Amino acid sequence: MIIVKDLHKKFEDDNHVLRGVNYHVHQGEKIVVIGPSGSGKSTFLRCLNLLEVPTSGEIWFDGERITDPKINIDRIRQHMGMVFQNFNLFNNHTVMENITLAPVKLKLMSRDEAGENALKLLERVGLLEKADSYPSQLSGGQKQRIAIVRSLAMNPRVMLFDEPTSALDPEMVGEVLEVMKELAESGMTMVVVTHEMGFAREVGTKVLFMDGGVIVEENTPREFFTSPKSSRLQDFLSKVL
Amino acid sequence: MQEWFETVSGKFVMAFVEGDRWKLYLKGLGVTIEIAFFAAVLGLLIGTLVALMRLSVKRNGKKTLWSRLAGAYIDVIRGTPSVLQLLIMWFIVMKSCKNGTLVAVLSFGINSGAYVAEIVRAGILAVDKGQTEAGRSLGLTKAQTMIYIVIPQAIKNVLPPIGNEFIVLLKETAIVGYVSLTDLTRAANQITSRTLEAFMPLIGAAVIYFVIIKILTILLDILERRLRKSDNR
Repeated sequence: MIIVKDLHKKFEDDNHVLRGVNYHVHQGEKIVVIGPSGSGKSTFLRCLNLLEVPTSGEIWFDGERITDPKINIDRIRQHMGMVFQNFNLFNNHTVMENITLAPVKLKLMSRDEAGENALKLLERVGLLEKADSYPSQLSGGQKQRIAIVRSLAMNPRVMLFDEPTSALDPEMVGEVLEVMKELAESGMTMVVVTHEMGFAREVGTKVLFMDGGVIVEENTPREFFTSPKSSRLQDFLSKVL
Repeated sequence: MQEWFETVSGKFVMAFVEGDRWKLYLKGLGVTIEIAFFAAVLGLLIGTLVALMRLSVKRNGKKTLWSRLAGAYIDVIRGTPSVLQLLIMWFIVMKSCKNGTLVAVLSFGINSGAYVAEIVRAGILAVDKGQTEAGRSLGLTKAQTMIYIVIPQAIKNVLPPIGNEFIVLLKETAIVGYVSLTDLTRAANQITSRTLEAFMPLIGAAVIYFVIIKILTILLDILERRLRKSDNR
């Protein structure tokens, strides 16, 4: 579904963040990416929907080479949902408007359809009563659940999560992970950058360890956590577990 | 005391009442407001457009040609006196145009546009980058993200400095006498030379400017408070 070939990303010429990443995400997989800060895992994720433009390499999504400069990236992004560390709900819009803005403005749904769909999704995450609230009135956990719903409203084929629980108070992490677990059970293809090892073990179908701009190790969660092969991963796991 | 009062009231009558002179101030004020208003509207349009041009980047993060052009425009306008810009517009660029008000509106509008552009640019940059990223990640185009998400939030940021720019603009129009338009300042000046009394006409004009700007300030305050309300709902 997503094929990444020899992906490189340099910032300002001297900061070489990604140094040749190769990976293939299949339909229905839940890929969890972990690694120390500065390892390039967020940059890797942000390259997948071209929020960061790769310096070189190729990314294919459903048979299209999206790194082709001629491709209409807006059309591609409609099918790739993204959830951010800092939620990034539109501050000038209500929860309802946040969810319906893109489907309506992109003429994928009528206002009524989008509204109905939004209510269904809000109910699914237990936030129906917040439909007319503004983001400033919500807790972090609520904001992130709304942000997930906002992406889902576009009926994406894959969902990208960029450290979705890192900016949350500890007691709110659970409610967001719960929504993500449900989403995983529903069959959604997911790529998740996170520090939540429990989530990686429980939900991931594959866990990737990134360090120094490359994927150092990749395995099923069980193998990954019980018998790490590279010394860098052993070292990392000994610090975080 | 009596004598002093009579002199002052005599001067007041001479400056404002005799020969219906108050009408001259009023007419001048009309010219001032007309030029300032249309120049402000033009400046806002130019400024927003130029700010967007200036912020445009290519796929590789480099400045576009539009951005360079916008930068050059801002540099030229800010680097030359507005009186000179007005004179150049009147005597060179629009030499054949006999409509002084139109020339003044264009000249001040183009001038104000450069300052507004920098204000709007700062206002847009002050909106969290995550807002743009979220919009683009949903598949919204650059333009849609700007229109529905970034600009509405930027307006709140720019209102105070834009208000300031309008106030500066209104007072700056006092130089239109250079292209033989009779605004409030020139009207007061003409009455001074006709009556050979400077105090009343000049102080009078100053008071009128002050009152107009005070009203403008109050209106801007009300608008700002109304926009801020959505923050703590």
